[in-house]
Amino acid sequence: MSQTHDTADRRRQDEEPLVSLEDVEVHFEKNQGLFDFFEEPEVVRAVDGISLDIEENDVLALVGESGCGKSTLGKTSIGLQRPTAGTVRYRGQDVWAAKDGRGDVDIPFDEIRSSLQIIHQDPGSSLNPNQRIVDILAQPIKLTHPDVGPTERRERIYSLLERVGMNPAADFADRYPHQLSGGEQQRVALARALLMNPDLILADEAISALDVSLRVEMMDLMLDLQEDFDTSFVFISHDLSNARYFAEHGNGRIGVMYLGELVEVGRAEQLIEDPGHPYTNVLRWATPDLALHADGASEPPMRKIDIPDPVDPPSGCRFHTRCPEAREACREACPALEGETGAHRTACFRNQPDHEYWDSAPLED
Amino acid sequence: MDATDPIIEMRNARVTYDDGETFVLDDVSMAVERNEVVGVVGESGSGKSMFASAMLDAIPDPGRLSGEILYHKDDGTTIDVLELSPEELRKFRWEEVAMVFQGAMSSFNPTMKVGGHFEETLKAHDADVIEGMARAEELLADLYLDPERVLDSYPHELSGGMQQRALIALSLVLEPNVLVMDEPTAALDLLMQRSILMLLQELQEKYDLTMVFITHDLPLVAALADRMAVMYAFDLIEVAPRDQLIGDSGHPYTRALLNSTPNLDAPLEEMRAIEGQSPAPINVPSGCSYAPRCPLATEECREVDPEFYETGVGHSTACHHWERARETIDLNFEAVEDDAVGADTEDHA
Ligand SMILES: Nc1ncnc2c1ncn2[C@@H]1O[C@H](COP(=O)(O)OP(=O)(O)OP(=O)(O)O)[C@@H](O)[C@H]1O
Ligand code: SF4
Ligand code: SF4
Ligand SMILES: [Mg+2]
Repeated sequence: MSQTHDTADRRRQDEEPLVSLEDVEVHFEKNQGLFDFFEEPEVVRAVDGISLDIEENDVLALVGESGCGKSTLGKTSIGLQRPTAGTVRYRGQDVWAAKDGRGDVDIPFDEIRSSLQIIHQDPGSSLNPNQRIVDILAQPIKLTHPDVGPTERRERIYSLLERVGMNPAADFADRYPHQLSGGEQQRVALARALLMNPDLILADEAISALDVSLRVEMMDLMLDLQEDFDTSFVFISHDLSNARYFAEHGNGRIGVMYLGELVEVGRAEQLIEDPGHPYTNVLRWATPDLALHADGASEPPMRKIDIPDPVDPPSGCRFHTRCPEAREACREACPALEGETGAHRTACFRNQPDHEYWDSAPLED
Repeated sequence: MDATDPIIEMRNARVTYDDGETFVLDDVSMAVERNEVVGVVGESGSGKSMFASAMLDAIPDPGRLSGEILYHKDDGTTIDVLELSPEELRKFRWEEVAMVFQGAMSSFNPTMKVGGHFEETLKAHDADVIEGMARAEELLADLYLDPERVLDSYPHELSGGMQQRALIALSLVLEPNVLVMDEPTAALDLLMQRSILMLLQELQEKYDLTMVFITHDLPLVAALADRMAVMYAFDLIEVAPRDQLIGDSGHPYTRALLNSTPNLDAPLEEMRAIEGQSPAPINVPSGCSYAPRCPLATEECREVDPEFYETGVGHSTACHHWERARETIDLNFEAVEDDAVGADTEDHA
């Protein structure tokens, strides 16, 4: 997969994707228990061989089960997690080469890090409990605009607070985080990220802790600000209907992860209407709808409820232990993510009409 | 629908804190029918956990619960729950009505194997341990878990979804008739939540359980519930059979709630948030508590707190203008329904 990197490096920076992942791998060594001194450390394959581009003003929603590597991939894309293999580039600059001072560094690591921001699931714990909102928001301004005086700083903070729907700002500015509701804390976290003038914000389950009825509001706010501030978003959710709402409104893509791999990625509408991967179908099943005369909670389109241990992922197609369509061939070979970058891509043999899959026997448990 | 065979009757339940200054449950009455699944839906802070706790007289200190909670046993006798001694209450909470909360992690003792929790519970209730453990294994298998492995594991060795299922099995080991669950799946990913709901449905059928499932997630519980109840500002505002509540609700808040949830099949433009905020315990307005946010509010609403109107068969709605709500607040998924279901709309019964 590795291209002719020399020429790529010399291309003008703005022709490069904002963030580009190439064959990225993140493997964690699991902490050893007391009695395991002599054993090989277990390795969690959190992210395995993922290549992905994120453009300016782009929206990518990542979905998948707990533990499938969404957060790890997200953090790797914003330079918060060092990959154990593969490269992460920001406007063509190798992020970890910049960090280590390897080669010609065009964009310093600090600049990269401040261009790539994160909002967490639990805003309560990411906001300093001993600081007032106004002081929390003053910090990024002091960092990015050291010459702005206190009066102008306060004005900017107030107008941003109002922009994120906290009206009147004066009512909120002098409160401490615990004096805000979960939704309001999340707005402050968003405001703080925006004050860094980021190119990309990673929203990691940023709406999951909010009531269902508040999620749409928060997503609308992020999408509004995306237009105003020209930021891209990587939006992580385990809920396909939220991913669809965010990605479709933001005219972006949905990426489906399973056990560290990207198994399907495509435009939101197409992926929802016409899922190419059996696992995407499972996520559809998991998404409640409000149909009348529902036949209750129907059987899921998968053979097992529990996800396998990422320390020891299944051979071949990692989904073969649960996939309702699995055949012998799926146990042996691993399907690649077929298709051009940017197109709708799916990693399943069923999308290859000539594959030996079609002649092999169905898997039984 | 008259309460034909209620198993739990809650009458005028009130929970107050600060010496009666703040209400967190305001005069709530509801009957739960034997063998039904009731979904209770409310935003965070609406009092839904208080509702759950009140059923078992388990309000956290220093809250005060008043009113009446009646439990009708299978043998026809009735227990007045608020009159039970602490020892009787302890037995009642496992053997008649069991409860499962969010976050299995904090319900398990991290230094004790899962099997130890089952044994300890059985012993504490003077139950036959051998018989009880056989039941435990069956329950774990019902929940698609490997009984041997799970009983022999420490809680942290299991995934969140496995822990929560083990906790459900534990709550059923003394064969209660009723299972009350407060956000039992909220910390899990959606796929595991839905899987657990499917399993609960199987358990309900197999063991003839009555279930009360409390959540902020209306579409989630809609897959399981026979009947749904919506809470707003510490009180119930609408109760109806599932299909009626979804297809023909009469309360502006319920309709707004239905329209605010992202739905894979609904047109995107039509999902919208509910304007404004729900009131805190100290400033619940007089009259209808939803009036400050309600698009249909009138003078009458601000003055008179609406009682329940009968708005359909077994369908009660606390809104003066329920007819207007049905006419003027469109449901955004109806268009899809009409295409899909065609003329088959028996929900206007
Ligand atoms: N710092 C770490 N050290 C060891 N293992 C880790 C570390 N971070 C993550 N993992 C493991 O890597 C795998 C992927 O984790 P990750 O947090 O990316 O999943 P996720 O998809 O975000 O899950 P969730 O939906 O629960 O947030 C998991 O098995 C997790 O336990
Ligand atoms: S490759 Fe085989 S096991 Fe994998 S998703 Fe496709 S059919 Fe299922
Ligand atoms: S009673 Fe009035 S204010 Fe309350 S929900 Fe009905 S219309 Fe709205
Ligand atoms: Mg995560």
